[in-house]
Amino acid sequence: MSAPAFTLTAAPQPLLFAAFMTDDTQALATGLRQRDPDLLDRLIEQYQQRLYRYLLFLTGNPALAEDLFQETWIRVLERGSQYNGKSKFESWLFAIARNLVIDASRRKKISSLEELGDPESNTPYDPPDERTASILQMLVSRENEQTVQLSLLKIPAYYREVLLLRFSEELGLEEIAGVMATPVSTVKSRLYRGLAALKTAMTEGAE
Amino acid sequence: MNENLHERAHQLLAESLVEGLRPAYESWLREHLAACPSCSQEAVATQNVLQALRAVPVSVPRDLAARTQLRLRLRAQESSPAATGSFWLWTVTAASWLLGVFSAPLVWRGFAWLGANFGVPKLALEFGFVLWWTVPPLLAAGIILHQKALTAEWSNKN
Repeated sequence: MSAPAFTLTAAPQPLLFAAFMTDDTQALATGLRQRDPDLLDRLIEQYQQRLYRYLLFLTGNPALAEDLFQETWIRVLERGSQYNGKSKFESWLFAIARNLVIDASRRKKISSLEELGDPESNTPYDPPDERTASILQMLVSRENEQTVQLSLLKIPAYYREVLLLRFSEELGLEEIAGVMATPVSTVKSRLYRGLAALKTAMTEGAE
Repeated sequence: MNENLHERAHQLLAESLVEGLRPAYESWLREHLAACPSCSQEAVATQNVLQALRAVPVSVPRDLAARTQLRLRLRAQESSPAATGSFWLWTVTAASWLLGVFSAPLVWRGFAWLGANFGVPKLALEFGFVLWWTVPPLLAAGIILHQKALTAEWSNKN
């Protein structure tokens, strides 16, 4: 029998580089406290792709994602002193963005944003409406990974979110728990269910 | 092969992605994947899904970062310490001016009393009264100009 093409990939281990980032995050915290404009410019440049993607996949609405992108950075400016440098900056950033998405969803119904709170209380696998899907499809590359992208759109936002944070942003379980303000056990449970949901969606898409 | 073994392999596969595996489980899974084509195929498919997930590209609107940077700088200027300080300065100056207007008759009487009791020349009294009115606004103007210079310096720095 031939050797499998698959190689086991260890789950991301943020603790491995945590020690090396302490100085950087402390410097970042100091800069944010001082509202250093050059630092903020650099951070916006550096995180624009990741933050916008996160917001877009949560809201499914490019215009709203843009608004929330700007609001997130305004919050970073105004609440920079609350970042203590003990966690990764992106965890703090995504937590701010997530809270803004939740606020926005309370103000008005966002079509693709299923309840981000407790998935068990909702009916899972409720696909987003076609309009949202088509907007997202326009924004993502059509060349590669189209099946995955389409399948992502079919799974609920609370699964999409953890999958993106874990496998795209490569955040650790505890960092994701921090972003979502939920226990690590909930994060794990959503990851397992999300992976299963994604596979199911892909299988259904292939048929 | 026992169906439970495939089930266990699938569980461990998911676990390896979510939490990581202990070495004993990892070596068991490796051996199983080497011996089981269907589970190996499943593992490859899963890995491909995750690679694609990592690579999902999204086009950020071209000027979004620039617009955000500009908005942030404007917001920072609005809430700069100098801008906040000048609001209070204007408030205090306005209050001071109103107080001056309403207290003018009393002040004039005070100067008249000084003239009557100490024989101060009328010209000196009038000059004193003018100073009473001009010194506070001049001081306020000086502080405002100083604040504006601070704001300009802060804006240039930002």
